[in-house]
Amino acid sequence: MTTYTICIFTGNTIGLLNRITIIFTRRRINIESLTVSETERKGVSRFTIVIRHESRDEVEKIVRQIRKIVEVLAVFGYLNDEIVFNEIALFKISTPLGSKPLDVETINKLHKAWVVYWGLDYVVIEKTGNETEIFAFFEYLRQYEILEFVRSGRVAVGKTEKGLVEYLPEAEWAYYL
Amino acid sequence: METVSVLPELTIEPTEIKLMSGSEALMRSLVAEKVDTIFGYPGGAIMPVYDALYDFQDQINHILVRHEQGAGHAAQGYARMQGRAGVCLVTSGPGATNLVTAIADALIDSTPLVCIVGQVGKKLLGTDAFQEADVMGVTMPITKWNYQITSADEVPEIMAKAFYIAQSGRPGPVLIDMTKSAQLELMTQPFVYERCQTIISYRPRLTPKQDQVEAAAKLINEAKRPYIFAGHGVQLAKAEEELLAFAEKTGIPVATTLLGQSTIPTNHPNYVGWLGMHGNYGPNVLTDQADVIIAIGMRFDDRVTGDASKYIRQAKVIHVEIDPAEIDKIIKAHAPIVGDAREVLKALLPLVKENDHTVWRNEFRKYDVIENENITAPELSGDTEKIKMAEVIDLLSRKTNGNAVLVTDVGQHQMMASRYYQFRQKNSLVTSGGMGTMGFALPAAFGAQVAAPDRQVVAIIGDGCFQMTLQELGTIVQNEQPVKAIILNNNFLGMVRQWQQLFHSRRYSFVELQNPDFVTIAKGFGMAGHTCNERETLSDSLDQMLAFDGPYLLEVIVEKEENVFPMVPAGASVSQIRLK
Ligand SMILES: Cc1ncc(C[n+]2csc(CCOP(=O)(O)OP(=O)(O)O)c2C)c(N)n1
Repeated sequence: MTTYTICIFTGNTIGLLNRITIIFTRRRINIESLTVSETERKGVSRFTIVIRHESRDEVEKIVRQIRKIVEVLAVFGYLNDEIVFNEIALFKISTPLGSKPLDVETINKLHKAWVVYWGLDYVVIEKTGNETEIFAFFEYLRQYEILEFVRSGRVAVGKTEKGLVEYLPEAEWAYYL
Repeated sequence: METVSVLPELTIEPTEIKLMSGSEALMRSLVAEKVDTIFGYPGGAIMPVYDALYDFQDQINHILVRHEQGAGHAAQGYARMQGRAGVCLVTSGPGATNLVTAIADALIDSTPLVCIVGQVGKKLLGTDAFQEADVMGVTMPITKWNYQITSADEVPEIMAKAFYIAQSGRPGPVLIDMTKSAQLELMTQPFVYERCQTIISYRPRLTPKQDQVEAAAKLINEAKRPYIFAGHGVQLAKAEEELLAFAEKTGIPVATTLLGQSTIPTNHPNYVGWLGMHGNYGPNVLTDQADVIIAIGMRFDDRVTGDASKYIRQAKVIHVEIDPAEIDKIIKAHAPIVGDAREVLKALLPLVKENDHTVWRNEFRKYDVIENENITAPELSGDTEKIKMAEVIDLLSRKTNGNAVLVTDVGQHQMMASRYYQFRQKNSLVTSGGMGTMGFALPAAFGAQVAAPDRQVVAIIGDGCFQMTLQELGTIVQNEQPVKAIILNNNFLGMVRQWQQLFHSRRYSFVELQNPDFVTIAKGFGMAGHTCNERETLSDSLDQMLAFDGPYLLEVIVEKEENVFPMVPAGASVSQIRLK
């Protein structure tokens, strides 16, 4: 299984998310994470979808199916080493009186995580990083009581201009922003 | 008393300040797209549109069908004959869901449709209002594009997009879900209609890239046993002449897919037959002996390839397709050409060398002999007690000189029609290929006849299929369309029975029908018809039907348990095609 990050640039219309996701569900492909935001261009949205798949060929086919959606401007499929990517995680840690004190220095220096909210008997820690880093931090925090843990989907930018698209017979039908 | 006003605003022409309702804007949009025929069925959520339509009857011929599925298939038949979008108009909820089968059929067979569907008022969306269904959600996976209009001002722009998307590139169905409030409300600006020419995020490539064309030409020129597969895309691109010119110059044999039939006359020296599960013997077997396959406007459906992992592994594949997503989808292309079939063939023609490939083409003739001895001749011999489907089609083919438009339903009769009709004219077969929708033929034949009043349209229908959409006899009669319908009645869901016989040890599980008297049913609708049960009267029966001035239903009682051969069993490779 290889992780692929698919970045889709679209116009901003209602229902597009559905149109995109049914391409995956119909082929029984699980979406690991999905984020949507407007890009530096007004009216242009960017979907970042992470999937795992055994076959690069199949991923290329999916990319082409997504490209067929009328509102889709461009699609790029990336391997991990072709992108800079990150996720954000929030941890809510129980800190009642008399519990083990937090080692803020380790949290900051070693894990590059920050306490972003101090509650009466809990804190919220924010950690940005890739999946491995976030899980390493999770392991570290196990010594405390983790009340809540939530992870965002991946956001990514390409290291090169093009990704899997280079392998398609018609690379040029991608519309570069 | 006469008063003369001096106020300037009263000098404004009334037409300039008249604002148009969404419904009227919709009508004007259809007129601007030169739509003269629509197939529809009214209901609550589309009433304002029907009210506007009342004033447009001189410009738009609305045909009232009997079931929305019929509207959809009729629009498909119309679109296939006219080469432009068929238009349907139906109400919300059940009206829209009844259309779903036809939309799915149109998507997989690349048929341009614009389906306009009523929806509850904007304020009621999402409240489970009367006849509210999430039609956008339901049709998203089966449309090329769908859009919900919620304000009258959107109408002209969205309708222009709808027609452009449906008809350009790889054609397909578009659905417009229009809220009742948008139908009723007035536009806030004057109606201006501009036909859509381009959409930034949707740019189908028509002209191929020269390097792709050159790479393909090189393969073709070096090939020893090249082989053309002509699909529906040839017809959609109106590339029949270009295909002939290309085949004649290069001498390459041409087989078609099911939907590609009639793109090349069956008596053309380059034509070798059609491909697929029940296609011809030679074309299937020799697929495995070609060294270069030139697939034009076809998508390597599993009914064509059999087991795709064992399919044409020896040959280089040139895949000409307007839809890039089809390339490498099933079969890896060594030389893909993205573009419109017509443009591609035009670009290829000057680059390919003259050749004749006689020896290679004669290979096909050897297999024709085997097929004829084992299947065709016995089926046409007339030595059985009951009439065989093959005899009916063969006779029909001769009586119409291969010039009719055949509209076939789904099952054994569909395959027999394709096997025995000798197409002489292009654009002569309308059938449900990808979806295999029983009930397609009767309404589609009606739509085809409306679209092509000068052609003889004959529907070939199974007794099972007929009972899925037979209410459209009413539409045919009311609109006085001279559709001829032949029911090949074997009293079975024959194709399913054949599979049960061959692959389920004759365990006939729910395939026998207790049929009504079809001719009486036709008469009930006011349609003439008769039953033919004897071989001696078959010829006269066909004459009578063809000569009849108006719609006619001919029921032919055929052999109950005949099978369609050759047959590539599901999941087998094409060379494992069975003759019995
Ligand atoms: C709507 C629909 N339901 C079921 C099927 C499966 N099916 C394919 S062919 C066939 C039998 C058709 O019977 P009939 O119309 O009598 O034609 P025959 O095969 O006997 O010529 C059936 C049930 C289908 N294709 N479409």
